[in-house]
Amino acid sequence: MERCLTELEERPQDRELLAEIFRSVHTIKGTTGFLGFSRLESLAHAGENLLDLLRDGRLLANANIITGLLALLDILREILGSIESTGQEGQGDDVLMIHRLHALQHDSKEYSATSGNMPAADNFQPASQKKKRIRRTKARNAAAIAPLPGAEIVKSQAETKTIEIYQAEPQAAQMRAAVNTAESTLRVDVDLLNRMMNLVGELVLTRNQILQMVSADANLTMLSRRLDMVTADLREAVMKARMQPVSHVFSKFPRMVRDLAQQLNKRVRLVMEGQETELDKSLLEAIKDPLTHSVRNAIDHGIEMPHQREASGKDPEGTLRLRAYQEGSHVIIEVSDDGGGMKVERIRDKALGCKLITRERAAQLSDRELMQLIFLPGFSTAEAVTNVSGRGVGMDVVRTNVEKIGGKVEIDSHAGKGTTLRLRIPLTLAIVPALIVHSRGQSFALPQGALSELVHLSSEQVQTQVEWMEGAALYRLRGKLLPLVFLGSLLKQQELADEPREVYIAVLNAEGRRYGLVVDGLADPEEIVVKPLSSVLKQIGLFSGATVLGNGEMALILDPGAIATQSNIGMALEGDEPEVVDANLKDGSAEYLLMQSASEHTAVPLNSVLRIERIPRAQMEWLNGVSVLRVDGALLPLKDRTDKDAVASSEGEMTVVVCRDGERHVGVAVTQVLDVASGKPLNEAGTNVATRDAVLLKDKVTSMIDLRQIPALPGSRHQNDQMETWQEDGVVEALP
Amino acid sequence: MCSVRVGQTLYGIPVTSIVEILGKPAKQPVPLAPGYIGGLVHYRGEVLTTVSLRSLLKMPSHDAVEDILVFEGADGYFGLLVDEVSEVITVLPADFEGNPSTLDDRRKALFAGTYKLSNALLVMLDPERLDPVHLAEAEMA
Repeated sequence: MERCLTELEERPQDRELLAEIFRSVHTIKGTTGFLGFSRLESLAHAGENLLDLLRDGRLLANANIITGLLALLDILREILGSIESTGQEGQGDDVLMIHRLHALQHDSKEYSATSGNMPAADNFQPASQKKKRIRRTKARNAAAIAPLPGAEIVKSQAETKTIEIYQAEPQAAQMRAAVNTAESTLRVDVDLLNRMMNLVGELVLTRNQILQMVSADANLTMLSRRLDMVTADLREAVMKARMQPVSHVFSKFPRMVRDLAQQLNKRVRLVMEGQETELDKSLLEAIKDPLTHSVRNAIDHGIEMPHQREASGKDPEGTLRLRAYQEGSHVIIEVSDDGGGMKVERIRDKALGCKLITRERAAQLSDRELMQLIFLPGFSTAEAVTNVSGRGVGMDVVRTNVEKIGGKVEIDSHAGKGTTLRLRIPLTLAIVPALIVHSRGQSFALPQGALSELVHLSSEQVQTQVEWMEGAALYRLRGKLLPLVFLGSLLKQQELADEPREVYIAVLNAEGRRYGLVVDGLADPEEIVVKPLSSVLKQIGLFSGATVLGNGEMALILDPGAIATQSNIGMALEGDEPEVVDANLKDGSAEYLLMQSASEHTAVPLNSVLRIERIPRAQMEWLNGVSVLRVDGALLPLKDRTDKDAVASSEGEMTVVVCRDGERHVGVAVTQVLDVASGKPLNEAGTNVATRDAVLLKDKVTSMIDLRQIPALPGSRHQNDQMETWQEDGVVEALP
Repeated sequence: MCSVRVGQTLYGIPVTSIVEILGKPAKQPVPLAPGYIGGLVHYRGEVLTTVSLRSLLKMPSHDAVEDILVFEGADGYFGLLVDEVSEVITVLPADFEGNPSTLDDRRKALFAGTYKLSNALLVMLDPERLDPVHLAEAEMA
């Protein structure tokens, strides 16, 4: 009905819409009268009278009438909610509301649509606004499940038959359709689904264990492959069962946008796309608040007042676009407005004003980095605090909430053109990819989402390259100081005797904070099933859960954000990795990954390296003369630069450097990865043209591997989605 | 009553409150956890938090693998680490007596009383008082 009402505002003449609204109000009136809920009945009656005039065309729906009807709807919902929870209608004075509806009947001809709210509406609005928020969720669930208007009562009262009698006549056809869907679908308890998900998670663990044990027996290998496949399918099916279309969250926005726009005297058109995109139910719940916040922000801060818009040559009606789509293993939800955009100078001044950054720091930051400042706690650019937004709790909450579920927030804004906020949400929560790290003999799981790279330090390097500043350990990562946190000492684990030893630094990016976590060792990345911890252990604060690893061992899951907080790691405002590399390129030198292929030294630019893997030679396959690797269900073209002798045999392992070439990913197989070195491309003697094939690294001329020369896969058009299965955050693993 | 042994003492727990007895599973220590937490155990697809009776009683820990009794607590299942589970003993309500006043406060808080057996005393434990949620609250107070 809410949807109908907002639609009615756009098409006040639509007979069918009016009839639909009328029918649902009438149903409520009839049923409640029958059941003896007098409050509901009198309210619905007042609403019906008004709708009657509208339906007969004696009155034209305007903003006032619709606001009144929406307010009526809120009260009806509130009463229904109280019936649902207590069985009573609850106390309340409806005279005001009924009077208001009456007034609308008689006076709305004199009121012009633009003259603002009625006096009665002013008194009424704040109260109903507050209650609405509480009630809406409940009512929405009911409305979403039931295909018929008025069926909210069915749920609260379970008086199904009464309703059916009422609606059988006018809506016979609709009923039949509803019955058909009822036969092919089944309502399942969420608890049961959660239990199923848990069991499937268990199955995944058992499968992992079996896969690790299987080696000798060929039959068993076959069987375990099959188990692997079935488990994967089952997992997908159960995950699908938990999926709900984002329209469940989106559907509340038309009303919200309308209310907000009216409150702020702005004109906003809401466009929603991809409502059928599906997302895990728990995730959907989790993004509800951040998304609501983003939408409020966009209307309050983004879209300008109509006269301002006209002055800058735009349509006085602003457009707010909500778009959801799937991209690989993520769902992207975009909130974009065509408003004023964010002025970088204003952000900077505001950040300085709120003392969030120092003046020196602000001068160093690029526009993009300044844009990130809005995610700092306590930041708001709204001139005045309104009751819509501007209290300084804002984007940081959005970011924290989204990162809590393993997602990311990106922002893109052009002054005068508008702002786009992109929420990147993983498809599921229950199973996450994680890197298993060791500290003092114990295993811990580190979620891959926060991991940006790994650095290996040998025991001598630990002595020389980890620098200390008054007790704080630092490491120079490509010229920038990276604060280090030692996992062993953070967890107060007992020291093992054999110092000094080699360590790994996991460079983490958590909630905008960047630091290195020092661990003793690394194991394979694994897909882990997150198990909640008991409340006593949650209080430690450093662990987000526990999991059972493939080898049957238990591991605690580290929470990178909490570790950063406990170690007092501040916000890092430096840009992302690619920018650092770009800065290097300006002075002509860049960093390269130095590798040994056969007896020759070769190199690839470091910024194109995604990760390094050791893969058994036997996994390499041939496709129309191109050597390829199968990785995560995608094909990776491979250039083999290892020994000619080794090529012939299919035994042993090879090191594959996975690189990015434009949009596709390619692999280079080499004998060994040596080091990272910076160098300059060489000019050919007598010319100013840099050769593409050679670079001076460590005072030696090293040949460059031209990634573009790696042949494309037969029939491939470098399609983007083919590469989607690749992880977003490539892990550069420095091998010893 | 199910009897368990920790150190030299025999403890009793009502059989009806025990969900399951796990024989010597591998457990994973939790760094930074309160001292009475014995570690995590994989239990039927869930992560089971265990309480070590030894550390609760401030007895020296020992390296031997311990048996685990599983209880249902306020916050889901939890486990109790004991040295060894022995037999089920039937006791008479007439043999029950409360905690002696000379017992130290820590033990008074954990024990429900004792049954006089023919050759020894069976110290009664109350699973509710061993619940980690309860222990955490007690620690706070």
